[in-house]
Amino acid sequence: MLKHLTIVAQRKLGVCLCAAVVLAGCGTTGSTRVDSSGGRTLTTVGEINMQDWLIAADTMVNSLRDNFINAGKLQTPPNKPALLAISRIVNDTGRHIDSDLLVKKIRIALHQASGGKIVTSTTVGIGGPEDPIAEEEQRRARLEGLDPSRPNYTLSGKIIPQRARAGRTQEFSFVFQLSLTKNPEGFAVWEDERAITKQAKKGAITPW
Amino acid sequence: MKNFSHPVRAYIVGVVGLFALVGCATVNTAERAQPVGRRQMVDDKRIITDAGLERRVRILGISESSGPGGLLKVQVEVHNSTRSLQRFNYKFEWFDGDGNLISTPTSAFLPREIEGKESLFLSATAPTPQAHDFRLKLLEEVR
Repeated sequence: MLKHLTIVAQRKLGVCLCAAVVLAGCGTTGSTRVDSSGGRTLTTVGEINMQDWLIAADTMVNSLRDNFINAGKLQTPPNKPALLAISRIVNDTGRHIDSDLLVKKIRIALHQASGGKIVTSTTVGIGGPEDPIAEEEQRRARLEGLDPSRPNYTLSGKIIPQRARAGRTQEFSFVFQLSLTKNPEGFAVWEDERAITKQAKKGAITPW
Repeated sequence: MKNFSHPVRAYIVGVVGLFALVGCATVNTAERAQPVGRRQMVDDKRIITDAGLERRVRILGISESSGPGGLLKVQVEVHNSTRSLQRFNYKFEWFDGDGNLISTPTSAFLPREIEGKESLFLSATAPTPQAHDFRLKLLEEVR
Protein backbone atom coordinates (compact mmCIF):
# COMPACT_ATOMS: atom_id res chain seq x y z
CA MET A 1 0.00 0.00 0.00
CA LEU A 2 2.79 2.35 0.85
CA LYS A 3 4.31 1.77 -2.59
CA HIS A 4 1.32 3.46 -4.22
CA LEU A 5 1.76 6.62 -2.18
CA THR A 6 3.97 9.42 -3.35
CA ILE A 7 7.08 10.32 -1.39
CA VAL A 8 5.33 13.41 -0.01
CA ALA A 9 2.31 11.40 1.05
CA GLN A 10 4.56 8.87 2.78
CA ARG A 11 6.31 11.62 4.71
CA LYS A 12 2.99 13.16 5.76
CA LEU A 13 1.76 9.77 6.95
CA GLY A 14 4.97 9.29 8.93
CA VAL A 15 4.61 12.68 10.63
CA CYS A 16 0.97 11.97 11.50
CA LEU A 17 1.90 8.60 13.00
CA CYS A 18 4.69 10.16 15.07
CA ALA A 19 2.37 12.89 16.30
CA ALA A 20 -0.23 10.30 17.28
CA VAL A 21 2.35 8.34 19.28
CA VAL A 22 3.60 11.48 21.05
CA LEU A 23 0.09 12.66 21.91
CA ALA A 24 -0.85 9.24 23.23
CA GLY A 25 2.19 9.40 25.52
CA CYS A 26 1.29 12.86 26.77
CA GLY A 27 -2.21 11.88 27.89
CA THR A 28 -3.12 11.31 31.54
CA THR A 29 -1.87 7.91 32.72
CA GLY A 30 -4.31 7.45 35.56
CA SER A 31 -3.69 6.75 39.24
CA THR A 32 -2.33 3.63 40.79
CA ARG A 33 -2.07 2.33 44.34
CA VAL A 34 1.34 1.56 45.78
CA ASP A 35 2.27 -0.35 48.90
CA SER A 36 2.80 2.18 51.72
CA SER A 37 5.43 -0.10 53.24
CA GLY A 38 7.18 -0.79 49.95
CA GLY A 39 10.12 0.98 48.39
CA ARG A 40 8.18 2.67 45.62
CA THR A 41 6.58 5.54 47.52
CA LEU A 42 7.61 9.01 46.49
CA THR A 43 10.77 10.62 47.83
CA THR A 44 10.82 14.41 47.92
CA VAL A 45 13.11 16.86 49.65
CA GLY A 46 11.84 19.52 52.01
CA GLU A 47 9.10 17.39 53.56
CA ILE A 48 8.74 14.18 55.52
CA ASN A 49 7.57 11.37 53.26
CA MET A 50 5.86 8.11 54.19
CA GLN A 51 9.10 6.16 54.04
CA ASP A 52 10.79 8.73 56.31
CA TRP A 53 8.20 8.06 59.01
CA LEU A 54 8.74 4.32 58.58
CA ILE A 55 12.53 4.67 58.84
CA ALA A 56 12.28 6.83 61.96
CA ALA A 57 9.73 4.50 63.52
CA ASP A 58 11.84 1.43 62.76
CA THR A 59 14.87 2.93 64.48
CA MET A 60 12.92 4.05 67.54
CA VAL A 61 10.92 0.85 67.85
CA ASN A 62 13.96 -1.41 67.57
CA SER A 63 15.81 0.75 70.07
CA LEU A 64 12.90 0.58 72.53
CA ARG A 65 12.57 -3.15 72.13
CA ASP A 66 16.33 -3.69 72.52
CA ASN A 67 17.37 -1.15 75.13
CA PHE A 68 14.22 -0.92 77.20
CA ILE A 69 11.89 -3.92 76.92
CA ASN A 70 14.47 -6.61 76.19
CA ALA A 71 16.88 -5.11 78.72
CA GLY A 72 14.29 -5.75 81.43
CA LYS A 73 13.89 -2.07 82.32
CA LEU A 74 10.11 -1.92 82.17
CA GLN A 75 8.63 -1.46 85.64
CA THR A 76 4.96 -2.16 86.17
CA PRO A 77 2.75 -1.41 89.19
CA PRO A 78 1.55 -4.45 91.14
CA ASN A 79 -1.13 -6.44 89.32
CA LYS A 80 -1.69 -3.98 86.50
CA PRO A 81 0.04 -2.76 83.36
CA ALA A 82 2.21 0.33 83.22
CA LEU A 83 0.42 3.35 81.79
CA LEU A 84 2.01 5.45 79.04
CA ALA A 85 0.85 8.97 78.17
CA ILE A 86 1.94 10.91 75.12
CA SER A 87 3.45 14.26 76.00
CA ARG A 88 4.71 17.07 73.82
CA ILE A 89 6.28 16.26 70.43
CA VAL A 90 7.75 19.57 69.30
CA ASN A 91 7.57 20.23 65.57
CA ASP A 92 10.34 22.62 64.52
CA THR A 93 9.92 21.95 60.80
CA GLY A 94 7.73 24.95 60.11
CA ARG A 95 5.25 22.69 58.31
CA HIS A 96 2.10 21.14 59.63
CA ILE A 97 2.82 17.50 60.41
CA ASP A 98 1.01 15.01 62.56
CA SER A 99 3.48 13.31 64.86
CA ASP A 100 0.98 10.51 65.37
CA LEU A 101 2.43 9.05 62.17
CA LEU A 102 5.42 8.16 64.35
CA VAL A 103 3.95 7.99 67.83
CA LYS A 104 1.18 5.54 66.98
CA LYS A 105 3.68 3.00 65.68
CA ILE A 106 5.69 3.34 68.88
CA ARG A 107 2.61 2.84 71.03
CA ILE A 108 1.64 -0.29 69.15
CA ALA A 109 5.18 -1.65 69.25
CA LEU A 110 5.53 -1.04 73.00
CA HIS A 111 2.26 -2.80 73.69
CA GLN A 112 3.22 -5.78 71.48
CA ALA A 113 6.80 -6.10 72.71
CA SER A 114 5.87 -5.91 76.38
CA GLY A 115 3.20 -8.58 76.00
CA GLY A 116 0.56 -6.07 77.06
CA LYS A 117 2.45 -4.90 80.15
CA ILE A 118 2.45 -1.32 78.92
CA VAL A 119 -0.71 0.38 77.70
CA THR A 120 -1.31 3.89 76.43
CA SER A 121 -3.72 6.36 77.99
CA THR A 122 -6.32 7.78 75.62
CA THR A 123 -7.60 10.23 78.22
CA VAL A 124 -4.37 11.96 79.23
CA GLY A 125 -2.29 13.75 76.64
CA ILE A 126 -1.04 17.09 75.42
CA GLY A 127 -3.78 18.84 73.49
CA GLY A 128 -6.59 17.05 75.27
CA PRO A 129 -7.90 13.51 75.46
CA GLU A 130 -7.62 11.32 72.42
CA ASP A 131 -10.92 9.68 73.33
CA PRO A 132 -13.38 12.22 74.80
CA ILE A 133 -15.91 9.55 75.81
CA ALA A 134 -13.26 7.57 77.69
CA GLU A 135 -12.17 10.78 79.39
CA GLU A 136 -15.75 11.52 80.42
CA GLU A 137 -16.12 8.01 81.86
CA GLN A 138 -12.89 8.45 83.78
CA ARG A 139 -14.12 11.76 85.18
CA ARG A 140 -17.32 10.09 86.38
CA ALA A 141 -15.30 7.32 88.01
CA ARG A 142 -13.25 9.96 89.81
CA LEU A 143 -16.42 11.60 91.11
CA GLU A 144 -17.55 8.24 92.44
CA GLY A 145 -14.38 7.93 94.42
CA LEU A 146 -12.49 5.61 92.13
CA ASP A 147 -8.87 6.51 91.57
CA PRO A 148 -7.92 6.27 87.89
CA SER A 149 -4.31 5.44 87.16
CA ARG A 150 -1.78 8.16 86.61
CA PRO A 151 0.78 7.69 83.84
CA ASN A 152 3.85 5.72 84.85
CA TYR A 153 5.66 6.73 81.68
CA THR A 154 5.42 9.68 79.27
CA LEU A 155 6.75 9.92 75.72
CA SER A 156 8.05 13.26 74.45
CA GLY A 157 10.23 14.40 71.61
CA LYS A 158 11.21 16.81 68.90
CA ILE A 159 11.48 16.90 65.12
CA ILE A 160 14.25 19.24 63.95
CA PRO A 161 14.99 20.24 60.36
CA GLN A 162 18.42 20.97 58.96
CA ARG A 163 19.13 22.45 55.54
CA ALA A 164 22.24 22.82 53.48
CA ARG A 165 23.07 23.80 49.93
CA ALA A 166 26.25 23.42 47.92
CA GLY A 167 26.19 24.51 44.33
CA ARG A 168 23.19 22.90 42.64
CA THR A 169 22.75 20.28 45.38
CA GLN A 170 20.25 20.90 48.14
CA GLU A 171 20.14 18.76 51.25
CA PHE A 172 17.35 18.42 53.81
CA SER A 173 17.64 16.51 57.06
CA PHE A 174 14.98 15.75 59.63
CA VAL A 175 16.23 14.74 63.08
CA PHE A 176 13.78 12.75 65.18
CA GLN A 177 14.41 12.77 68.94
CA LEU A 178 12.34 10.84 71.47
CA SER A 179 12.53 10.31 75.24
CA LEU A 180 10.62 7.98 77.56
CA THR A 181 10.30 9.45 81.06
CA LYS A 182 9.57 7.50 84.23
CA ASN A 183 7.01 9.23 86.43
CA PRO A 184 6.84 10.58 89.06
CA GLU A 185 10.65 10.46 89.24
CA GLY A 186 10.91 12.56 86.08
CA PHE A 187 14.01 11.02 84.49
CA ALA A 188 14.42 9.59 81.01
CA VAL A 189 14.76 5.81 81.04
CA TRP A 190 15.14 5.60 77.27
CA GLU A 191 16.19 8.06 74.58
CA ASP A 192 17.16 7.85 70.95
CA GLU A 193 17.68 9.99 67.90
CA ARG A 194 17.53 9.31 64.15
CA ALA A 195 18.42 11.66 61.30
CA ILE A 196 17.03 11.19 57.81
CA THR A 197 18.82 13.07 55.06
CA LYS A 198 17.77 13.59 51.47
CA GLN A 199 19.53 15.37 48.64
CA ALA A 200 18.32 16.74 45.36
CA LYS A 201 20.28 18.17 42.49
CA LYS A 202 18.77 21.09 40.68
CA GLY A 203 18.76 20.94 36.90
CA ALA A 204 20.42 23.68 34.91
CA ILE A 205 17.09 25.37 34.18
CA THR A 206 14.92 24.00 37.02
CA PRO A 207 13.98 26.49 39.79
CA TRP A 208 13.86 25.22 43.41
CA MET B 1 48.97 -0.41 18.72
CA LYS B 2 48.17 2.15 16.08
CA ASN B 3 44.82 2.91 17.81
CA PHE B 4 46.22 3.28 21.32
CA SER B 5 49.14 5.38 20.19
CA HIS B 6 46.75 8.04 18.97
CA PRO B 7 47.13 10.93 21.48
CA VAL B 8 43.43 11.93 21.60
CA ARG B 9 42.26 8.37 22.30
CA ALA B 10 44.90 7.96 24.98
CA TYR B 11 43.75 11.23 26.59
CA ILE B 12 40.09 10.07 26.58
CA VAL B 13 41.00 6.69 28.09
CA GLY B 14 43.00 8.44 30.78
CA VAL B 15 40.17 10.81 31.70
CA VAL B 16 37.60 7.99 31.82
CA GLY B 17 39.91 5.92 33.99
CA LEU B 18 40.40 8.86 36.35
CA PHE B 19 36.65 9.33 36.76
CA ALA B 20 36.23 5.60 37.41
CA LEU B 21 38.82 5.69 40.17
CA VAL B 22 37.35 8.82 41.80
CA GLY B 23 33.91 7.14 42.13
CA CYS B 24 35.30 3.99 43.78
CA ALA B 25 36.03 4.78 47.44
CA THR B 26 36.21 1.57 49.48
CA VAL B 27 36.22 0.90 53.20
CA ASN B 28 39.18 -0.29 55.25
CA THR B 29 38.52 -1.80 58.66
CA ALA B 30 40.45 -2.62 61.82
CA GLU B 31 39.26 -4.75 64.74
CA ARG B 32 40.53 -7.15 67.37
CA ALA B 33 42.41 -10.07 65.94
CA GLN B 34 40.60 -12.34 68.42
CA PRO B 35 37.12 -10.90 69.04
CA VAL B 36 35.98 -11.16 72.65
CA GLY B 37 32.27 -11.22 71.84
CA ARG B 38 30.95 -14.53 70.61
CA ARG B 39 28.13 -14.43 68.11
CA GLN B 40 25.66 -17.26 68.09
CA MET B 41 25.50 -18.04 64.40
CA VAL B 42 22.47 -19.72 62.87
CA ASP B 43 22.16 -21.87 59.77
CA ASP B 44 20.20 -20.14 57.05
CA LYS B 45 18.39 -21.04 53.87
CA ARG B 46 18.75 -18.62 50.95
CA ILE B 47 16.63 -18.19 47.85
CA ILE B 48 18.48 -16.05 45.32
CA THR B 49 16.40 -14.62 42.49
CA ASP B 50 18.58 -11.58 41.81
CA ALA B 51 22.14 -12.77 41.27
CA GLY B 52 23.30 -9.22 40.68
CA LEU B 53 22.02 -8.04 44.05
CA GLU B 54 23.57 -11.08 45.70
CA ARG B 55 26.96 -10.06 44.32
CA ARG B 56 26.52 -6.45 45.42
CA VAL B 57 25.03 -7.16 48.87
CA ARG B 58 26.14 -10.60 49.97
CA ILE B 59 24.94 -12.15 53.21
CA LEU B 60 27.97 -13.33 55.16
CA GLY B 61 26.20 -14.75 58.20
CA ILE B 62 23.29 -14.52 60.60
CA SER B 63 23.51 -14.44 64.39
CA GLU B 64 20.85 -14.26 67.06
CA SER B 65 20.56 -13.51 70.75
CA SER B 66 17.87 -12.82 73.33
CA GLY B 67 17.60 -10.65 76.40
CA PRO B 68 15.83 -10.67 79.78
CA GLY B 69 12.73 -9.31 78.09
CA GLY B 70 12.46 -12.50 76.03
CA LEU B 71 12.66 -10.82 72.63
CA LEU B 72 14.70 -12.46 69.90
CA LYS B 73 17.34 -10.21 68.34
CA VAL B 74 18.73 -11.01 64.91
CA GLN B 75 21.82 -9.58 63.26
CA VAL B 76 22.74 -10.17 59.63
CA GLU B 77 26.16 -9.27 58.29
CA VAL B 78 26.18 -8.20 54.64
CA HIS B 79 29.12 -7.32 52.44
CA ASN B 80 29.42 -5.21 49.31
CA SER B 81 31.85 -7.08 47.08
CA THR B 82 31.97 -4.27 44.50
CA ARG B 83 34.16 -1.20 44.74
CA SER B 84 31.31 1.31 44.55
CA LEU B 85 28.48 2.52 46.75
CA GLN B 86 25.38 0.34 46.53
CA ARG B 87 21.84 1.14 47.60
CA PHE B 88 19.35 -1.51 48.54
CA ASN B 89 16.21 -2.09 50.60
CA TYR B 90 15.71 -4.61 53.37
CA LYS B 91 12.81 -5.88 55.45
CA PHE B 92 12.52 -8.23 58.40
CA GLU B 93 9.48 -10.46 58.80
CA TRP B 94 8.65 -12.36 61.99
CA PHE B 95 6.79 -15.60 62.58
CA ASP B 96 5.29 -17.12 65.71
CA GLY B 97 5.64 -20.69 66.93
CA ASP B 98 2.96 -21.87 64.48
CA GLY B 99 4.72 -20.27 61.55
CA ASN B 100 2.20 -17.46 61.22
CA LEU B 101 3.38 -14.06 60.07
CA ILE B 102 3.26 -11.47 62.87
CA SER B 103 1.92 -8.10 61.77
CA THR B 104 3.87 -5.11 63.06
CA PRO B 105 3.45 -1.38 62.39
CA THR B 106 7.04 -0.98 61.23
CA SER B 107 7.30 -3.94 58.86
CA ALA B 108 8.43 -2.16 55.71
CA PHE B 109 11.19 -2.12 53.14
CA LEU B 110 13.83 0.27 54.46
CA PRO B 111 16.58 1.86 52.36
CA ARG B 112 20.23 1.42 53.19
CA GLU B 113 23.57 2.33 51.62
CA ILE B 114 26.73 0.28 51.74
CA GLU B 115 30.10 1.59 50.59
CA GLY B 116 32.48 -0.34 48.35
CA LYS B 117 34.00 -3.37 50.09
CA GLU B 118 32.12 -2.50 53.29
CA SER B 119 30.55 -4.99 55.67
CA LEU B 120 27.70 -3.83 57.83
CA PHE B 121 25.08 -5.30 60.10
CA LEU B 122 21.35 -5.26 59.59
CA SER B 123 19.71 -5.90 62.93
CA ALA B 124 16.20 -6.09 64.29
CA THR B 125 14.51 -7.11 67.50
CA ALA B 126 11.41 -9.26 67.44
CA PRO B 127 8.10 -7.44 67.91
CA THR B 128 6.73 -9.84 70.52
CA PRO B 129 8.01 -12.58 72.81
CA GLN B 130 6.00 -15.02 70.65
CA ALA B 131 8.21 -14.41 67.63
CA HIS B 132 10.47 -17.41 67.13
CA ASP B 133 11.43 -17.26 63.46
CA PHE B 134 12.31 -14.51 61.05
CA ARG B 135 12.97 -13.86 57.39
CA LEU B 136 15.10 -11.14 55.85
CA LYS B 137 14.20 -9.82 52.41
CA LEU B 138 16.65 -7.86 50.30
CA LEU B 139 15.57 -5.81 47.30
CA GLU B 140 17.58 -3.62 45.00
CA GLU B 141 16.78 0.08 44.85
CA VAL B 142 13.60 0.30 42.86
CA ARG B 143 13.39 4.08 42.37
